[in-house]
Amino acid sequence: MTTVAPAASGAGTDAVAWHHRHLIDVDVLTWPEIELIMRTTEQMKGILARPIRKVPALNGRRVTTLFYEASTRTRVSFESAARNLSADVVSVAPATSSVTKGESLVDTIRTLEALGAEILVMRHSVSGAPYLAAEIFSGHVLNGGDGWHAHPTQALLDLYTMRENVPGGDLRGKKVAIVGDILHSRVARSNIWSLTAAGADLWLCGPATLLRGFDRWASAWSGGAVPGHGKFNVTSDIDAALRDADVVMGLRIQRERMQGGLLPSLREYAAMYQLNAERISLARPEAIVMHPGPMNEGVEIAPDIAISGRSVILDQVSNGVAVRMALLYLLAGSHEAAQPGHEGAHIETAR
Amino acid sequence: MTTEGGASGPARGAGAKGLGPKVGETVERFELEKAWLVDPVSGREGPGEIVVIDGILESVTWLEGAEAEGVTDKGVVVAPGFFDIHAHFREPGFEDAETVATGSAAAAHGGYTTVALMPNTQPALDEPGTLARVRAAAAASGSPVEVLAFGAVSAGRGGEQLSAMGELADAGVIGYSDDGAPVKTPKLLRSALLYAGMLGLPIVEHAEDLELTAGTEAHEGYVASVMGLAGWPTAGEVSAVSRDLAVLADALGDQPGARLHLTHLSTAPALDLVRRARAAGLPVTCDVTPHHLAFTDEWIAGARRWAWDALAADGTSRDPWIDGALTAGPFNTSLRVNPPLASAVDAAACLAALVDGTASAVATDHAPHTIVDKEVEFGKASNGISGIETALGVLLALVDAGRLPLARAIAALTTGPATVIAGSRARGLTEGAAADLVVFDRADSWQVTPESLLSKGKNSPLIGRELPGRVLLTIAGGRLGYEDPSAGDE
Repeated sequence: MTTVAPAASGAGTDAVAWHHRHLIDVDVLTWPEIELIMRTTEQMKGILARPIRKVPALNGRRVTTLFYEASTRTRVSFESAARNLSADVVSVAPATSSVTKGESLVDTIRTLEALGAEILVMRHSVSGAPYLAAEIFSGHVLNGGDGWHAHPTQALLDLYTMRENVPGGDLRGKKVAIVGDILHSRVARSNIWSLTAAGADLWLCGPATLLRGFDRWASAWSGGAVPGHGKFNVTSDIDAALRDADVVMGLRIQRERMQGGLLPSLREYAAMYQLNAERISLARPEAIVMHPGPMNEGVEIAPDIAISGRSVILDQVSNGVAVRMALLYLLAGSHEAAQPGHEGAHIETAR
Repeated sequence: MTTEGGASGPARGAGAKGLGPKVGETVERFELEKAWLVDPVSGREGPGEIVVIDGILESVTWLEGAEAEGVTDKGVVVAPGFFDIHAHFREPGFEDAETVATGSAAAAHGGYTTVALMPNTQPALDEPGTLARVRAAAAASGSPVEVLAFGAVSAGRGGEQLSAMGELADAGVIGYSDDGAPVKTPKLLRSALLYAGMLGLPIVEHAEDLELTAGTEAHEGYVASVMGLAGWPTAGEVSAVSRDLAVLADALGDQPGARLHLTHLSTAPALDLVRRARAAGLPVTCDVTPHHLAFTDEWIAGARRWAWDALAADGTSRDPWIDGALTAGPFNTSLRVNPPLASAVDAAACLAALVDGTASAVATDHAPHTIVDKEVEFGKASNGISGIETALGVLLALVDAGRLPLARAIAALTTGPATVIAGSRARGLTEGAAADLVVFDRADSWQVTPESLLSKGKNSPLIGRELPGRVLLTIAGGRLGYEDPSAGDE
């Protein structure tokens, strides 16, 4: 590759050099690196605003999406992002592949590599699966969500969307409330890393059964002692979480949680925690409402709130393409001269 | 074969390479001068010399005065051969993971001369025919390591009806366990305690409340919360131990010979329950594993510091993220084990139990697995750590750190396990008996690599790490079990 995407050429002169071979979680990113992603995303949005939304940054590069869990927006968003950068895209759905014949993840990835995959975007139901992929794949691994563990592109598009909507684009001291099934949420976990890095006043809220363990995490960080990260709050009191919030994010409540004995009923959840007009009125007048999707309208969020003027849910979707273009470009664009360490075997401790 | 120990250097044990006996052959002559002898039977340790002739420990000489000068416990050490009361050699049924032959070779490399195998083979060891197969494999292996076996508590380990317990006792099992899982119901456990008590044998229980632990991936705590792993709660062990103790107390009324041994206890509250039950006079014993003493759940996040280095001064667990202690990749499946690696506080409780005698023994729960079962997603990986070759090194790391007296470490590998198994032979340095001993050098270390492990199971979180205490020689029942291949290289 010889050409740099014109709109993104600024990235090459940034003081912060990109040195990650994979992106599996936001926990390894320093704040300057997150800022670099935000700036690159801005440039990608510029491309998306053009009549022809296509640049040759990844011309001829082979992006393979491997989604072990059902997904509409994330997979389509990655594939659109890759095509906008002129990559060749192969989409593997394990339901119709050899995986149903018992092929292991390792064998599947070796096979995809032998078939020419250079950039692997994967989603998996087991926490940590992309680290295994990164250990054996010689190209780049981009995590599209693993188990309860991480969903870095969602956290980054959330951050981008918040910055777009917060005056001055600075989240420091801004109150962000994430409400719902925190326990099982990779979105919440990745957002903890990115939003505490951004200096936001982060509140996680849900019924006790869906918050289990997060009090421990919050108290471990109560001194803000993890380099580059700060404290956050955990509460089951929805009013306390929403009061004077600048950003309110709902998370999906899955029906399986009732069978697990974690919730009495969806009706009771909605009565106690649904983001509805009355509850949202506790937040600041200019507060925005977010949701990573897919939504259960009428459960965790009232339909009128989801489509209200406060809602930036569709902005999240469109920003998702730009963020994923930025990450594909940073990971595998033509600037990738400085070959990075092997993250599958080593985690950077600098944050 | 003559050699000199002492702290001065890596004096390698047993004579010139290739000139000594082969594994399985009687050690005709072996003399060790000026080493540190540890005899947990007499309770004595100090400078001394041993002579083995024709497989017999002919003499044990304790040195004093000028003769003992320069000999410390930091150099070459002689101890009775170790006894592992919890190992999986996978035969019959899973010979791609381990066999009795490869497991025995690994055991001897670890300093063990006796192993007790768990019955979760395929078929389960629930009748004498399977025991005979295991014994035939041991005999054919050529290894002198003594192979004992537990029978299953329930037929097929199915938890429904008792195995052929009496016939198994006649055939020589040393107790019963449904290890890998708890005895399924309290009712069956009660019957098993009565029946085994009648036969004079213990029930060895894997204490786990399967209702609480179904679908879990790691110890429930801070690390699992951050990593997004489903948490195995402490109550998963505590509730099972409570059940077991209640049933034992009940069974004792009918069968005073009932005996319960709880294996691989891993949490502070469970060990407290055992401590109190023993103080109250219940005939219960327990063991802890090297991995629960030395590793913690933060290793899953990528930390590699010893458990005692992860303990804060105020007795709480340190934070590996705050400390910048993550030096390896996360989600390494060699760390997936049942019960799961717990907190530094729990590891400290395992150590305290070992020191105060609540835990009688260190048992390895040596659980070799193939790459097929381990090179998978963390939550899909088989549980288990290949640990019989690294147990000594892990305990010596504790000794080096000043956390465990050397004599207590040796007792936990020898006389301690013998107290759990009724009728076990004494494990001391006894003149006139068949030589059964291990010689290791605390002044030398060795690197754990897939090649250095003789077990087929390379599933060790210590791969790549340097461990203290190179085993130079293991003699089991007068025959050579293991000899360091670099012996005589100097």
